[in-house]
Amino acid sequence: MAQTNNATLIRREIITRLCRLYAENRLDEIDRIPLEMAPRNTTAHNSRCCIHKARAIIRYRIMALLGFNVADETDELETLYSYALRSLAGTDRGKGVLTVVDEACTSCVKSNYTVSNLCRGCLASHCMVTCPKQAITMENGQAKIDPARCVGCGLCQDACPYHAIIYVPIPCEESCPVKAIYRNAQGIEEIDYEKCIHCGKCMVACPFGAIMYRSQLIHVLHQIAKPAKPVVAMLAPAVCGQFRADYTAVADAVKRLGFTDVFEVAEGAVLTARHEAGELAAHLESGREFLTTSCCPAWVEMAHKHLPKFLPDVSETWSPMRYSASMIREKYPDAMVVFIGPCVAKQAEALKYPGVDFVMTFEELGSLMIALNVDFQDSDASVPGEVIRERAFAISGGVAGAVAQYYQGEVLKPLVINGINKKNIALLRKLSATKHDYNLIEVMACEGGCLSGPAGISAPAVARKLFNARSGISVDQIAITGF
Amino acid sequence: MTEKTEVSICFGTLCFIMGGSAFELLSEHLDEELREKTLIRGMNCPGYCNQTSEYGKPPFVKVNNTLISEANLQKVITAVKKEVLHGADK
Ligand code: FES
Repeated sequence: MAQTNNATLIRREIITRLCRLYAENRLDEIDRIPLEMAPRNTTAHNSRCCIHKARAIIRYRIMALLGFNVADETDELETLYSYALRSLAGTDRGKGVLTVVDEACTSCVKSNYTVSNLCRGCLASHCMVTCPKQAITMENGQAKIDPARCVGCGLCQDACPYHAIIYVPIPCEESCPVKAIYRNAQGIEEIDYEKCIHCGKCMVACPFGAIMYRSQLIHVLHQIAKPAKPVVAMLAPAVCGQFRADYTAVADAVKRLGFTDVFEVAEGAVLTARHEAGELAAHLESGREFLTTSCCPAWVEMAHKHLPKFLPDVSETWSPMRYSASMIREKYPDAMVVFIGPCVAKQAEALKYPGVDFVMTFEELGSLMIALNVDFQDSDASVPGEVIRERAFAISGGVAGAVAQYYQGEVLKPLVINGINKKNIALLRKLSATKHDYNLIEVMACEGGCLSGPAGISAPAVARKLFNARSGISVDQIAITGF
Repeated sequence: MTEKTEVSICFGTLCFIMGGSAFELLSEHLDEELREKTLIRGMNCPGYCNQTSEYGKPPFVKVNNTLISEANLQKVITAVKKEVLHGADK
């Protein structure tokens, strides 16, 4: 779920600056970005302790933007320019897609429970007595919780007659559906890549913007700049919810950025829907109970890492991205293929299969347009163009709907899981353990579908409105009753 | 009939990406009375973004003749209310 808050805007400003430097052949000035963004005598660092910290954080953000995992830093003096060169030269990508900018992440509470100043330091001290870990002491007439001992059980909160103990959430941990992010011994969040499904929810949740996806943008810029091979972009179905422009105008703008050609992933989605309908019929005929969709890479990752029982029933049909890549290669056999979408997890999917060389986000696309002064007002392409119904893949319910169009077999009983969250995971677990009569289960990690993707341009409500106005299909007509 | 308060939203790419997309829902955020008294329209990039030292930061929205920088829904709604009220006591 993309949101336009200050943390997002700072990320976009950095991306824009990087693109500009690259385009103007001034990449060697990249180490100036932190100085320019947090200049002396300003309040640009208002929510940080000092200018040096503000600059350090920007520096690590750029590191992630250059494709590095911030945790992999070995030499604090290594310049950003050196990172940029290493990134362009190397292919070693390290682990994970999301990375924690640890400098930025120190501001959350060390323990979920904290004693507010409503504490009267009462004689009974129910909290102290109740705490199973002896984490509470009385200091200066008020209770105090030692975060090193606190295990977050919450018994003290229930025990306090003054309601003086409050629960303070840690947004990233709270948002992670699979408990893949946790505080390490230094009190800084760390991502467990054995568990992470790359859904990007923590990135959206963190109010300090401390979690970033490792970008591949610099590689894309590099490919566009050296015209050795055609560089072909494909735009994910959610594209119609990103700008105040029809598909043809966006495609035209993408070409003006320097891409050789542009494809619509919805065309690949037509093939996905058709094949998945066939697979579903065959799957049910073979005696299996149901099939789940597989176009959401975070869901597929989730099944692999957390719900292995589902694996035999996760569709093996290629995702629209993969079909689109093979269509592109028919036309441009030696092309560099770039997927552009609202998704963080697509990066992990692209690494697993050959065909897609790089993954870029819509937010990066928008920032690149800013950097290169590409505006829609100077686009001639104002014809709405052909409407591909499979644009509905961007919406929760849309994939099941598209598969249903082509499906022939016993009566279809679809179930739409709208968003991977703790509640829906519990439901999925239940579905895998008990009998039910659903035979097609659509799962999307983002609530609302890809239109709410973590790296889209605008808030989900705006994206829905734009999509309704621009895609030629209506979000509300698509929605099949979901959870 | 009094004149409508004019809200011009910059539809330039820069403003749109840097937060201006939120104004897609501006009319939904105005109550009916205000909505009737306002005219929301877009404008192509008027170039403010090139002179941030003079005009401030994007996104830019103009409410009648007042330019709002770093505009957000709250700021714009407050400005619209002010203009509409002001118009009423004229
Ligand atoms: S894009 Fe809004 S002022 Fe230039």
